[in-house]
Amino acid sequence: MRKAIVVLALVGIGVMLIYAVGEMPPMGDSGNPDKVHIAPRYLEHGEEEAGASNVITAVILNYRGYDTMGEVAVIFCALCAVVAILNREKPGLSRTSMDVSGVKASVVVRTTIRFLVPVIIFFAVYIILHGESTPGGGFQGGAIIGASIILFTLAFGLPESTRKLPLRFRIPLESFAVIAFLAAGFTGIVFGVHFLTYLMPGLSEYAAETIRHIMMMVIEIGIGFAGGIIFTSIMFAMIREDQCELQPDSP
Amino acid sequence: MNFNRIAHNLNYVSSVVLFLLGLYAVAVKPNLVKKIMGLNIMETSVFLFMVSIGMVGSGNAPVVTEGVKPATMVNPIPQALILTGIVVAVSTTAVALSLCIKIHEHYGTLNASEILGTGGPF
Repeated sequence: MRKAIVVLALVGIGVMLIYAVGEMPPMGDSGNPDKVHIAPRYLEHGEEEAGASNVITAVILNYRGYDTMGEVAVIFCALCAVVAILNREKPGLSRTSMDVSGVKASVVVRTTIRFLVPVIIFFAVYIILHGESTPGGGFQGGAIIGASIILFTLAFGLPESTRKLPLRFRIPLESFAVIAFLAAGFTGIVFGVHFLTYLMPGLSEYAAETIRHIMMMVIEIGIGFAGGIIFTSIMFAMIREDQCELQPDSP
Repeated sequence: MNFNRIAHNLNYVSSVVLFLLGLYAVAVKPNLVKKIMGLNIMETSVFLFMVSIGMVGSGNAPVVTEGVKPATMVNPIPQALILTGIVVAVSTTAVALSLCIKIHEHYGTLNASEILGTGGPF
């Protein structure tokens, strides 16, 4: 009965939304309202104003820099919340089912992943460093780093992963993105311009652009590595199987 | 209803369908993990909708290169906003899943009706 009411309500919402879709401007038309307001300015002047030929990176780091700083803070707060709820992983207590079963992943899987993970991390570093001139950037590269480490953990188990990425190595990296952003922001204040202004006054044009490039690069690298490590830490904190904890260590 | 326009705006229609699927899962499924999956489907539908808004027919990526006119590039603003949205979605999902782990430790079940003690469909 309740299900029928929900379905009826959803059909009502759906009909209204589809009707609204019929009233919207045709998709892909270059004269649509979203493309006549501020997007042309970003596309035409993004490279000289924001210093990145990838306009999305220019929007993320420069035009909407406050937004991205909040986003970095959000993902850091998510890690803090997860760690507060679940605590860090406890080596020896929290294990994947793979560790407990005592059967190692097959040689094919382990060899493939041993070969693939460095290649994937190399690709992620390329994506992070080329975020200013090609599609890519810090968050994308961070997601790829996190995915590669999750892949490694699935095949080799948590003890092996935490030996490769110990807690004392991860904790400083987790807050690196927020620190890099705040450092870049306050550099602007020290030079007498607004928070998160990358172009410093009183320097030659070449020096100012070089400093802007370096600052954006530092922020991208910080977002990338901190994002990847935060994803990894969240996943490590979540690995715990209560039934498995009661069983003895794998032989 | 303008059926030609609806057939042309197929991405918007898909996002409406995805949104309703996610809303159905959130409203009806008793399992908390399935509710979170429904929430993620709804988020995905919004991402699809917003990125489709910025699309330009046979356009180029918004990367400044030689010989590509800015008028043919897609709108970069929705893509930048969606990048923020994806990260926020991941963060909320992580927190929700860790709360689910704690709920399962405490109650031994993830069924919302059993946790509330109602036995109803929710």
